Amino acid sequence: MIAIIAVSVVTIGTLGLGTWAVRFARTTSDLFVASRAITPWWNAAAVSGEYLSAASFLGIAGLAMKMGMDAIWLSVGFSAGYLTLLLFVAAPLRRFGSFTISDFVEARLGSPQMRLLAAAIVLGIAGFYLVPQLKGAGITLREVTGAPYWVGVVVVGAIVAVNVSLGGMRGITYVQAVQFWIKTFAIALPACLLLIYLGGLPHKSALFGADVPRAPADGLVVKLDSPRTVTFPRPTVFRENGVLHRARAGEKVELAAGKLSLPAGAAVPLSSGVERGPGVVWSRPVGHGGRDGPLFVYSLLIATVLGTMGLPHILVRFYTNPDGPAARRTTVRVLGLLGLFYLFPTVYGLLGRVLAGGLYVTGETDSVVLRLPHLAWPGVPGNLLSALTAAGAFAAFLSTASGLLVSIAGTLSYDVWGRVRRSGAISARARRARFRLGAVLGIIVPALLALAAGGLDIGLLVGWAFALAASTFCPMFLLGIWWSGLTARGAATGMIAGATVASVGIFAGLIAGDNVNGALGALLAQPAVVSVPIAFLTMTSVSLLDPSARPDPEPLMLALHAPEGLGLEQLEPASADSRDPAPV
Amino acid sequence: MSPPPPPAGGRRRTPRDELAEATAHGGLYLRRLVRAQLALSLLALVAFAGILGSLPLLLFLAPGLRTISVIGVPLPVFLVAVPLFPLFGALGWLYQQRADALDDAFRDLVER
Repeated sequence: MIAIIAVSVVTIGTLGLGTWAVRFARTTSDLFVASRAITPWWNAAAVSGEYLSAASFLGIAGLAMKMGMDAIWLSVGFSAGYLTLLLFVAAPLRRFGSFTISDFVEARLGSPQMRLLAAAIVLGIAGFYLVPQLKGAGITLREVTGAPYWVGVVVVGAIVAVNVSLGGMRGITYVQAVQFWIKTFAIALPACLLLIYLGGLPHKSALFGADVPRAPADGLVVKLDSPRTVTFPRPTVFRENGVLHRARAGEKVELAAGKLSLPAGAAVPLSSGVERGPGVVWSRPVGHGGRDGPLFVYSLLIATVLGTMGLPHILVRFYTNPDGPAARRTTVRVLGLLGLFYLFPTVYGLLGRVLAGGLYVTGETDSVVLRLPHLAWPGVPGNLLSALTAAGAFAAFLSTASGLLVSIAGTLSYDVWGRVRRSGAISARARRARFRLGAVLGIIVPALLALAAGGLDIGLLVGWAFALAASTFCPMFLLGIWWSGLTARGAATGMIAGATVASVGIFAGLIAGDNVNGALGALLAQPAVVSVPIAFLTMTSVSLLDPSARPDPEPLMLALHAPEGLGLEQLEPASADSRDPAPV
Repeated sequence: MSPPPPPAGGRRRTPRDELAEATAHGGLYLRRLVRAQLALSLLALVAFAGILGSLPLLLFLAPGLRTISVIGVPLPVFLVAVPLFPLFGALGWLYQQRADALDDAFRDLVER
């Protein structure tokens, strides 16, 4: 009940702020990019707020509980991505003055056809990224109200579509900044209070030693809404719908839907995909090979460290900085803010292993952040804290999904529609109508995918969006900004090659499932370590061999790298002007 | 050094054209700035990738580290979960100071 109220407050607050802000969104440029005069701290909180998604709030802890401590490399990579963005992209991109990735691609490479390719990749990345947000919404609403999974997907999808088509981005800058602090408070406070209440980490043998997760002192009852195959790590006596059974160590048992009861201290049976080893194996940040070995860790780091700069909803935020140095200052502050947030998902992963054993039976560890507080601290305090994490999770989907949908709607309404149907100059009103239609269309496909993807881990889904971004836009930005020799043909070939290799890896991994192990399994689970170098190599070599005439690099380099204050910064590439709105 | 680009047809003459045309050294200065900025970014990248990239290998090769305990968790878990974040922030801050200084130096040079 408390949780429902907390979630409603966050949702209504977001909608209210968005609606309030719409009164200020007088021109189309307000809808696309908020006014550029926002201070670095507001901007940094807004970037972080938009960035911290269901993957950060729920997914890292869930994956850590399921697969072990190798999942916390996700925290590291999600944060480190902003360092590469700072070093190579933030200031030049802001100076270049394009509004979106598609604008940059067209202006830098001097080829309007590139815009459609970039638009297709933007839609792929943003769509991939929206699916786990909606999945998070589905499981959160189920935790809070007991409603079926699809209800949350539909409700949050509708809220986000309405919010985006009414408010656009101006409203969302301040909403996003506030959402960052809601999320940080909502994950930090319960983590700290739980650690104090429990007096540190309990049952360390199951975490770091020779033991496995066990049922608590009053036994463990798990409700299964569908049959599950589980593995018993130790010999165990259990009741399935009241009937007594016995399982040997390592035995696979098909459990029927209904009620599973374990006596106090019994080893918890594990769903497929859960790390089977004792604490000493579970807590290794780097395993001995296979799916959690060094190859997987490096591939994950490459995807996240290089993928952040290719996320369309994040990059667009950097244009709200007034100039290049402000873009740098914003990014440094983002590193600080994210560093604070990412300390906490690990705590939930650790506590979840010993206190939320029931999730191992169902395999739905993504809900550990929501469920842990009231399992660890029975009574009112635990319920209050669970309500807080549910509210934070809602803030996470609303903010990230809104940002993604703004990118999707902008891409659909401007890049795709604008190119496919050339109708000459259109009124600002018609432009806004297209944007709103784009927002509605842009939520439908990801929502349908989210309904189908209920069994996939949020952390893995988001890892794929990063792999795609790292294999396409990352090499395009790095080479496009720092190497004047990049040609349109080279960039197109490289992005297509990277996207193809990454997608083939991901889909092959999806089909093969847990059947492939070892190095190949690691590569299919996260293909970035292969696809990123392929994209870079293709882009460079095709550019070098490209016989077509290159545009004169000097004006481009000037626009990318010349410092402000020389009267040069007003000179933006011609294509960016084409989008400048007429005041309404 | 390539000849300065002609101003775009029909477009108003702009300060950028001035820089490229009037001061023959403009292009050279700019290329020098880009190279200096790139060198700074690559230096920072080497430091960052060196630290981040060696940690998984270290943890893989030295499993014995787990016997050391820090604030109640084994050292490998602690190393991944805590100290990298402030390190990224510090590295980013240092880079920002140096990059802004390079921009300022260029501005002084061109405006002189």
